[in-house]
Amino acid sequence: MDCEEVLAEVEHYLHGELDPDRSRHLAEHLAACSPCFDRAEFQRRFKDIVRTKCHSDAPEHLVMRVRMAIRSERRDPRRPPDQVV
Amino acid sequence: MLPGMYSAAYRLTRNAADAEDLVQETFLRAYRGFHQFQPGTNLKAWLYRILTNTFINSYRKKQRQPQTISDDEIEDWYLYSKMAEEGLEPSAETSVIESLPDEDVQEALSSLPPQFRIAVLLADVEGFSYKEIAEITGVPIGTVMSRLHRGRKALEKRLWDVVRERGLVKD
Repeated sequence: MDCEEVLAEVEHYLHGELDPDRSRHLAEHLAACSPCFDRAEFQRRFKDIVRTKCHSDAPEHLVMRVRMAIRSERRDPRRPPDQVV
Repeated sequence: MLPGMYSAAYRLTRNAADAEDLVQETFLRAYRGFHQFQPGTNLKAWLYRILTNTFINSYRKKQRQPQTISDDEIEDWYLYSKMAEEGLEPSAETSVIESLPDEDVQEALSSLPPQFRIAVLLADVEGFSYKEIAEITGVPIGTVMSRLHRGRKALEKRLWDVVRERGLVKD
């Protein structure tokens, strides 16, 4: 694989979407090519930062709130079932 | 599963009160429609599908937002190249983004048009596979990949703007 092919597939590689064979080829290239490795490493860290920073903890009362909502729904069985998806 | 869904709901609705309402509505709809869930299939993906559908149907109407991103001018490796132009070492490049307040990154993600925001959120924050995202959003995998690619680039562009506004790099 040349650099262009590798860089075009790096985002799929980092998301674990390549088949094992393709993934191994990419890993081998990245281990041997520092310009590609730097970009892949940047992308990997960037993805990590987005994941970490975009997480918000649920407020403690939310589980109870949802539980109560479902409980009052159970007491009112007249409602017809919904189409949800 | 609820904590992750709250996080996702927050990124979608952009505020805590609406996020709580969206999570509650999602679980209520799941409860009412549980007969439609096929045992043995992905429960988490099913719940996220209800979450995103509920968001699109009820909340999006309230938020007047552009549905597309003008990303023609955003080249691949946008953020990496911008950082490199600043003469930063590869190891220092992500530190700049890391030093941003969480709210800046959250706001950048939340400012993407919904279909791109949902794709990046499901993949990079919630960790769903392309196949699962295709199931959740009801589009082909190719569309998921394209939305992700364009959404990530747009996110990089917005974060670069934030980094510059905050004076974290020389202009």
